[in-house]
Amino acid sequence: MSVRFLWALLLVLAGCGRQDPVVKLGFVAPLTGDQAPQGQSMRNGAVLALEQAKARGDILPGYRVELVELDDQHSPTQAVAAAKKLAADPDVVAVVGNLNSSCTMPASAIYYQARMLQITPVSSNPQISRQGFDTFYRTCATDDLQGPAAALFVARELGARRVFLLDDMTTYGRGLANEFKKKLRALGAQVLGHEGITQGDKDFTPLLTKIKALAPDLVYFAGMFPEGALLIKQRAEVGLGGRFMGGDGLFDPVLIELATPQAADGIYLTTIGSDVHRIPTAQEFVKAYEARYGSIGAYSAYAYEATSIALWAMQRAGTKDRRAVLAAMKTLHDYPGLFGLQNFDERGDSLIRDIGLFTVKNGKFVFLKTASWD
Amino acid sequence: MGLTSSILMSPFHLLLQQLANGFTIGAIYALIALGYTMVYGVIQLINFAHGEVFMVGAYLALTALLILGVAQPLTGVALAGVLTACVALAVGGCGMLGWGIERLAYRPLRRAPRLTALITAIGVSFFLQNAVMLLYGATDRRFPAFIPARRWEWGGTSLTLLQVVIWLTSGVLMVALQMLVTSTKLGKAMRATAQDPNACRLLGIPVDRIIALTFALGSGFAAVGGMLFGLYYNTVNFHDGYLTGLKAFTAAVLGGIGNIPGAMVGGLVLGILEGLGAGYLSSQWKNVFAFVVLVGLLVFKPTGLLGERVADRA
Repeated sequence: MSVRFLWALLLVLAGCGRQDPVVKLGFVAPLTGDQAPQGQSMRNGAVLALEQAKARGDILPGYRVELVELDDQHSPTQAVAAAKKLAADPDVVAVVGNLNSSCTMPASAIYYQARMLQITPVSSNPQISRQGFDTFYRTCATDDLQGPAAALFVARELGARRVFLLDDMTTYGRGLANEFKKKLRALGAQVLGHEGITQGDKDFTPLLTKIKALAPDLVYFAGMFPEGALLIKQRAEVGLGGRFMGGDGLFDPVLIELATPQAADGIYLTTIGSDVHRIPTAQEFVKAYEARYGSIGAYSAYAYEATSIALWAMQRAGTKDRRAVLAAMKTLHDYPGLFGLQNFDERGDSLIRDIGLFTVKNGKFVFLKTASWD
Repeated sequence: MGLTSSILMSPFHLLLQQLANGFTIGAIYALIALGYTMVYGVIQLINFAHGEVFMVGAYLALTALLILGVAQPLTGVALAGVLTACVALAVGGCGMLGWGIERLAYRPLRRAPRLTALITAIGVSFFLQNAVMLLYGATDRRFPAFIPARRWEWGGTSLTLLQVVIWLTSGVLMVALQMLVTSTKLGKAMRATAQDPNACRLLGIPVDRIIALTFALGSGFAAVGGMLFGLYYNTVNFHDGYLTGLKAFTAAVLGGIGNIPGAMVGGLVLGILEGLGAGYLSSQWKNVFAFVVLVGLLVFKPTGLLGERVADRA
């Protein structure tokens, strides 16, 4: 008994002795709740990026790099709590996150005060980078491009003249809907109405019935896939005709599953980047990801890209210091990323600004083309 | 679905459609509201875990479907069999759950201050939510639609088979409950317990068993509501019990808490108000509209629509 205990103690001590000091990279996204499928596929991308970077060699010599995963449940309150937690931990030098603009926006102020590099993979509301925080970077296109690109497609290519707008009243949804509306009006199409829905609500039949009575050519929804799926399904049930289009928040296979493939057939959506399966530089990543986690999520590649860049900045800084990591990030030029050579403008927004256009056919997302916004 | 726009609906048919939509969700609210109102009627406790029992009912029905491997709409004998299995598992499971909650969480506190039981109810609610999250995962689960997707159209107003099923199920269950309460021995014992539990004990009525049965019965109704909810929206999530439970509670208060026909009327009125609010005003004010009506009503008629003034118990 006592011998076994001594052995155990020895093992523990030996384990401690070999431990390098740790340096941490934060990761925040909705890991539970209805948006968890997207959050989890982002997490997988981040984990893969860290593992591959480690396999290539030391990130910070003498340090063990760890990913701290926190769950924001797509709630701004939780996002702020997570940001404060990370800011208070001296081992954390940078953070990748969040998913939702409504979370990234308030969290960015905390990271700015903590002088901590934040790279959001996918929060696309343009206002976030206009706050003037030099700690903020993002690896996707923004909604002031996504909205107009969708409006152009709707007005010019689908020829829709009478459009009804819906959004989920979040920073992302309302922002995207307004960008879409501005461009659509400029193109001479008529906006029949613009209404908000509540996240977590299930019954949209009264709203869709009201829209049915107006007989629009197209309904545009700026929001996330859990509500999008219900809208698409209930739209078929109330017999609302015309087309349906949404933004990148709908881009998750779970959308088609929840909405049923029949009801989702023929809907359109834009994404904040081109089809990752068609980018030559991303193919190695796609293969590695699919071998390990199965099919790739909408935001996996962005999380991988953001994590890789954050690790690059840590390596470049060469020391466990937030300011040094931030300073290193500012020297980034032509980083060979998944989507090509990455560079960021003075606001921290990526200069790779493709908007992808997808439709749903036979229960699958099908890439149509890269859309233009002017 | 092509580029062809839907036919313009006349205001009359639009109103009819909104009423049908509101009536459907109202029927589900009414089924859940019965549980709140029955428990309140018998022991004056607002069982805040009731919304979670409803959610568990939806998950149990889903479990039955997963075990049977149902993914497509069914007809005939298969439909009847699957429906029976779903109802049996959901109602049986939730009935036992309701009984267990009463036995473990509320009965030991029967003589404690009322606030204690209320806090316990919130605790039970958290427990059930997290238990379901751990068992079934935190993401939305698809609830297979096994009722055939039949629909009838009349001048732009459409009605689906599922809506009719929801109306009929709720209607039959409510009439059955009303008959049980007014004209059976058990119903009489329940009404007696509601009036004066101490006098009941003196007369040899097993008060504890009656209370437990009331919980089980109310939970069974919530389970049917949960199954219909899953069928209607085709997704279930572990936090669905919260908002829907709150709405059903509102319906119970609207109709006059403690009053069984009141819960039915309250559920239907709330569903229709929500439908009309979202359909004619604005969908972002849907919940606000329903609760403003509740507050307004309670200011002028504090006992609810059908509630009567009851003498405070000594």
